[in-house]
Amino acid sequence: MPEHDWDEELFRAVCDSAETASEERAPSRVKARVYSAIIREQQESGPLQSLSETRASGHGLCVFESLVQIAPVGEKAKSPFFCWTCHARLLAENVEDAPIFWINCPYVTFQNR
Amino acid sequence: MQPVAELQQDAAEDLKLVADVLRKDRKATAEFVLRYTDWVYGYVRRRVMPRTDVADDLTQEVFVASWQSLKNYRGNASLRNWLLGIARHKVDDYYRKRLRTFDWPDAEDESVAEPCAIPAYEEQIDRASLQKKTKRVLAGLPEAYGLVLLWRYQEGRSAREMAELTGKTEKAIERMLARARERFKRRWNHAGA
Repeated sequence: MPEHDWDEELFRAVCDSAETASEERAPSRVKARVYSAIIREQQESGPLQSLSETRASGHGLCVFESLVQIAPVGEKAKSPFFCWTCHARLLAENVEDAPIFWINCPYVTFQNR
Repeated sequence: MQPVAELQQDAAEDLKLVADVLRKDRKATAEFVLRYTDWVYGYVRRRVMPRTDVADDLTQEVFVASWQSLKNYRGNASLRNWLLGIARHKVDDYYRKRLRTFDWPDAEDESVAEPCAIPAYEEQIDRASLQKKTKRVLAGLPEAYGLVLLWRYQEGRSAREMAELTGKTEKAIERMLARARERFKRRWNHAGA
């Protein structure tokens, strides 16, 4: 086989071997950052779905969201991204497998535990 | 291979999830992230190897871009493959931007054309150790060399495509590839098993 072709085959094989590396799980902090980034983008084009609608569509709310949801305020006041002010988000975005355990908190579901 | 009924169910689930995310349902958005980040991250990470430190940011870029075009998703491909399509574009962007910043070999410099000894590849190496060695050798190369090798041989881009995407000449790309191959082989021979 001519040297050039041999080279091409060699590198194709070597690089293909790298591609078939075993499946890797994304770090939990990457998932947390991705989630926050998408929510920020969603907010730029208008309010998020309100917490009442979220609950009505069958999703569970975390303890903080539940408190907001039952508060005597208008629906519009229930649509901001409350996680923005939550320590769970901060921890999850910066610490791998952060010690957070709130039920129905998205940042808890991202943990690779 | 998945049975047809299972595929149809997956497609229906994808479309429902997309509809919920488009309604800006935060919990559905979390489900979207949970379900697909491992795939996207794994894909991106393997393709930017050995610069795995950039995989975090690229993964985030893929998902932000996916949100921006999610309204165009029609379910013709699985959501996973649709996202991996966006990831492929992002990885291409990364290669293009990085390679544009490097100094390229002088066109008159013939040193790259020096013949190099063909290493003895007949040795039997199991797949795992081959992967490990490949990663180690790529990680030890100057970044530009690793990038052109991965773009050419892992991504399957032709020299012409790479030239168009980076604004370089095809000849410059080929010379860069020749240098990278040469350096790779040399390191491979000295890397051990």
